[in-house]
Amino acid sequence: MNKGLAIATRGLSKDYGSGRGLFDLDLEVRSGEVFGFLGPNGAGKSTTLRLLLGLIRPTAGSARVLGLDMDADSSEIRRRVGFLPGDLALYPKLTGRDMLEYLTALRGGGVNGRYRDSLVERFDADLDRPVHELSTGNRQKLGLIQAFMHQPELLILDEPISGLDPLVQQSFHALLTEVSGRGHTVFLSSHTLSEVERVTHRLAILRRGRLIVVDSVENLRRVATQRLEIEFAAPVAAESFRALPAVTGAVADGRTLTVSFEGSADAVVKAAAAHEVRAIRPREDDLEEIFLRYYREDPV
Amino acid sequence: MSGAIFKLALRLRMPAALSAAAGLIAVMVAVGALFPAVGHSIGALHVPKGVSNLLGGADYGTITGWFRSEIGSIYGPLLAGALAITGASATLAGEEEDRILALVLSYPVKRSTLVAAKAAAIVVVVVIIALATWLGLIVGVTVAGGGISIWHMTALAVQLAFFGFATGALAVAVAAATGRRSLATGAAAAVAILSWLISSFAPLVGWLSWLKYLSLYYYYAGHDPLGHGIGIGGIAVLGAVSAVLAGFAMLAFERRDLRA
Repeated sequence: MNKGLAIATRGLSKDYGSGRGLFDLDLEVRSGEVFGFLGPNGAGKSTTLRLLLGLIRPTAGSARVLGLDMDADSSEIRRRVGFLPGDLALYPKLTGRDMLEYLTALRGGGVNGRYRDSLVERFDADLDRPVHELSTGNRQKLGLIQAFMHQPELLILDEPISGLDPLVQQSFHALLTEVSGRGHTVFLSSHTLSEVERVTHRLAILRRGRLIVVDSVENLRRVATQRLEIEFAAPVAAESFRALPAVTGAVADGRTLTVSFEGSADAVVKAAAAHEVRAIRPREDDLEEIFLRYYREDPV
Repeated sequence: MSGAIFKLALRLRMPAALSAAAGLIAVMVAVGALFPAVGHSIGALHVPKGVSNLLGGADYGTITGWFRSEIGSIYGPLLAGALAITGASATLAGEEEDRILALVLSYPVKRSTLVAAKAAAIVVVVVIIALATWLGLIVGVTVAGGGISIWHMTALAVQLAFFGFATGALAVAVAAATGRRSLATGAAAAVAILSWLISSFAPLVGWLSWLKYLSLYYYYAGHDPLGHGIGIGGIAVLGAVSAVLAGFAMLAFERRDLRA
């Protein structure tokens, strides 16, 4: 495996039957990058993370994590990885402090107490109350602290900002930037783009267990459908624009026509020039819409 | 074995174990106090053989029979078995169903280590119940006026502990193999109750009497530890069954997907 890769999977599959699971995942996550792993619920994101950590076994394929074999070196991988499960569950009767002490003991000496305390302070975590009395957000803070506390080379985080208030989300994003700056890798799973958009270098989109695309946010924007909002002096028929080459859609709303197209705007502008045009405004395709399109259909 | 996992599993089971132990001792003292007043009159009653066998002989007229029927046949194995089975099911399959193990096993902890640590915690819980039985017997028998040697009381406590180990190990094995708390509890409880019934009734039917050798309960009480002392054979069988089931649990848990 390339030494510059934190995660490399080859044909990784977990077939649960009835089309559910993960199929032929070939994925490479570079060391030091923050990698977003997106997909709708049930796309296979959590299955991938659980495979990488040896919680479940693949039905086919293989993976290397931090250069180690997923099966043979599972214990060593788990020593060097910090994991936040998507459906985090803790011992309800333990206080936050007891919970962190327990997990620190399981790390077997790999936790710097001062760094852990700094994380507690940073997230303003409540360590004195039993877990069952904590809000979802406060439990999630404990989950984040335990994932980061041993300063792992690779962080695998499943829906990390779920339940966090905006201020804590900000702290979390700052922490991601810091650990990435130290050369550590973050593999961040989410079903919403807004959760990863600001912090990821690259991202992958998974749908129905299959990898749809891997690219940077910028490139995904670049290849996205472009839109022009054209304001005319009088209403025009949208049909005449839909017939133009490269146009993927045209919607009229009174005197305003919104035209979606791929490639050059030349044909659209020339067709518009046949009418009295008051204004032309470029509309950047909403990034969320790009992702929803990937979620809904196989992009051509 | 992981010390942290063992300590936490024990800590979470300790309130139930200590309260059950205190209750058991209190019951045994009360049973001992009742014997001088009612033991001989109850002992004179005619009890059908089947019922008598269910109660470990139902020889209420003697102090040994009194405690064998009340504690040795009912309360002792019921508490030891119940705490071992529910504890084992909850600490392994319960935590898996509650998704806690998904976090714990993302740490550098071997699955066999986790099973061993949790099984060890159940062993301690069973030992607490056995110790409570032993202490309760000593106090109860003294209150009743004496009549059972300390060695025979020790024998009952030891045999009881091994019965608890075996039923607990069965629950650990089912929990480790399936990850289902209700199945682990139900299957182990069913085996324990069937064991008790088989051990009690099989000897009454000549051609079925061999079935008693399939009963865990038989290896606990068949030798009558309170009347005859330690039954090495029974302890060896229960110990071997526990060890085999614990080994199976480790292998089974190692090889399967975590459910949640």
